Amino acid sequence: MSEFPISFTLEYPYTRTLGPVIGPFLTALRDGRILGIRCGGRVICPPIEFDPDTCETLSPDFVEVGPGGTVENWTWISDPSSKHPFQSPFAFVQVKLDGADTTMTHAVKASGPDAMSTGMRVMAQFHETLEERTGAITDVYFVPEADARNQSLRPGAGEVEISTHLISLTYNDTLYPHAARFAEGLLDGKFIGQRLKGGEVSIPGKGYDAIARVMLSEADDVELAPTGTVLSYTVITPVKYRGQKETEPYLSASLILDGAGQTLVQQDIRNIPLDEFRVGMRLRAIFKPVDERSVDDVDNDWMYPSIGNVVERWESTGEPDVPLDELPESM
Amino acid sequence: MAERCAVVGIGQTKYERCLPYSMDGLVRQAALRALEDADLSFADMDAIVIGKAPDALEGVIMPELSLADALGAVGKPIHRVHTAGSVGGSTAISASTLIESGMYNTVLTVAYEKQSDGNFMWALSGGRSGGAGAGGSFAPWIRNYMRRSGAPDHIGCKVAAKDRRNGAKNPYAHLGQADLTVEAVQESPMIWDPIHFLEVCPSSDGAAAMVMTNAAGAKRAPRPPAWVISHAKRSELGVFPGRDPVRPLAAIDCAKALYKKAGITDPRRQIDCAELYVPFSWFEPMWLEGHLICPEGEGWKMVDSGATEIGGDFPVNMSGGVLCSNPIGASGMLRLLEPANQVRGTAGDYQVEGARVALGQAYGGPSNYFAMWIVSSEPNPTFS
Repeated sequence: MSEFPISFTLEYPYTRTLGPVIGPFLTALRDGRILGIRCGGRVICPPIEFDPDTCETLSPDFVEVGPGGTVENWTWISDPSSKHPFQSPFAFVQVKLDGADTTMTHAVKASGPDAMSTGMRVMAQFHETLEERTGAITDVYFVPEADARNQSLRPGAGEVEISTHLISLTYNDTLYPHAARFAEGLLDGKFIGQRLKGGEVSIPGKGYDAIARVMLSEADDVELAPTGTVLSYTVITPVKYRGQKETEPYLSASLILDGAGQTLVQQDIRNIPLDEFRVGMRLRAIFKPVDERSVDDVDNDWMYPSIGNVVERWESTGEPDVPLDELPESM
Repeated sequence: MAERCAVVGIGQTKYERCLPYSMDGLVRQAALRALEDADLSFADMDAIVIGKAPDALEGVIMPELSLADALGAVGKPIHRVHTAGSVGGSTAISASTLIESGMYNTVLTVAYEKQSDGNFMWALSGGRSGGAGAGGSFAPWIRNYMRRSGAPDHIGCKVAAKDRRNGAKNPYAHLGQADLTVEAVQESPMIWDPIHFLEVCPSSDGAAAMVMTNAAGAKRAPRPPAWVISHAKRSELGVFPGRDPVRPLAAIDCAKALYKKAGITDPRRQIDCAELYVPFSWFEPMWLEGHLICPEGEGWKMVDSGATEIGGDFPVNMSGGVLCSNPIGASGMLRLLEPANQVRGTAGDYQVEGARVALGQAYGGPSNYFAMWIVSSEPNPTFS
């Protein structure tokens, strides 16, 4: 059996409202200044909305702090990842800015770990242009005091009220053995399920029987015929959102393969007109040519498992419909 | 149980796209309103119980930690609950369990979602392009319900028109349409056939909070308490051979356990009103049946007869429900909070006259997580 390496990038776009404290803090960063907030007798930077000691809402009594500060803790990042603020080695620090009573976690660009020490003086440096300074914590970074340049920065316009982030995480994994056998079957033009101890067939198998609570093995694999019955369907009119690829209404069907105990959901039907499509209809999967089949989106965990991109279309078998009262109630 | 639990404070934010506040500020607003209603302060709280749907929806991981300042929780126990869309219900039940066990005297429970901070259509597709959306998953089950029950097409539209009209009476509701007709719902675009646009919940920001306390605390409360009579949670796997998502076994088991603990034998007659989690209109008849309020196949007839309108014999979603406001993590708590509003007599323009016993229900995931409770104006209501 071949191994199936899988790679999946999870992405989320965020647009966060900042509120009355982080908004002004990020607006000031964009304009080349760092703000703390008065809280009792202290100045807290980065500023916070609520007094942790009394639970009271802090009044927006901002104090400009820095641009110099003292490093209280540091660690050297010798092999930065693509998500780090610098792509060459740098230090993460906790820096107490002049005028503040708390430390801020941030990054120092230095020549090497030998240039770093607890108690060293650092200076804020802002990115030069307003294209680079967007109202984000990464608008600023720190350098050893001796390396600091004088900056003359042009402030931006308006208040920063929303911050936008695109977060992405790439997972690299290998399909579990049962999922690999399922994927291999799809590439061969076969639907491979697993027979549970109670006799029902799960398609795809999970590698275990969730009802009897026992592990399943290759010996429990069963091949199902590529024929089945329509249990239900919807016509989806696509709404626009990030990542949406559909533009026109399309039929999405729930099918139960002959001999299966659970449905294949969200099977796109592009070839059968809506007015000819009906619950109870008998369908057959027509597989794509071998070299056009792909199982890239088959994965280990998703609740509604993909059957990959191997089916060219579902077409009528020509058999009479299954009477509605003979359809299973399970989906 | 060692102690009885009562709701003595309720707080809500307006449900809408909330721009002036941070997530912290939004959650705090509901908490402060609940404390004010209970005439208590953060200092009186023994613990905080917080719930929301997946962290990925806003991208703030373990927000219960960063929200501690906003919720007066510094130095106090803070419990986080997560059960998908039913989470607000499960959160309130967890909070009441902490009172009933005798662990704490008074707790603040909060649930929220700030949907505008993320892209929910994308996030609910698991961060991948599906195109189907939540409605695309639920629509085939709704079609299946219609086929099995013989319900006519207009039932869903009737639920939607009722809920949106009710929402117009609720000052916190995101959507409310005082004059919405069944015909207007039928004429709205079909987006997940058989679901029309006006049969779909909105995407809202918002938070809901309750102060819960024991019998001694309830005695000191400035306003009438809502007594927690019984609660139940059940779940099942989202996908397995033999599962019936139209009438999930977990929904039936949850209702049976709930009614048994309360001593309820005839829910339709013995319960005065209910808030059910109805994100797509057809879930009203589906849950009326799935939670044994009526026999299988009869839920749509209750809708059609007007029984679930305010003024009917079994009003449902008097507040407008999820169809009017859907801050996901808070939506389940609202379903449990609004029955408390009803039995306290604080439901304003959508008050059910004389409500004594009320049901709240939340569901989540692919109809596989359930949380329900019964509250009453009386600590020990009897049923005949």
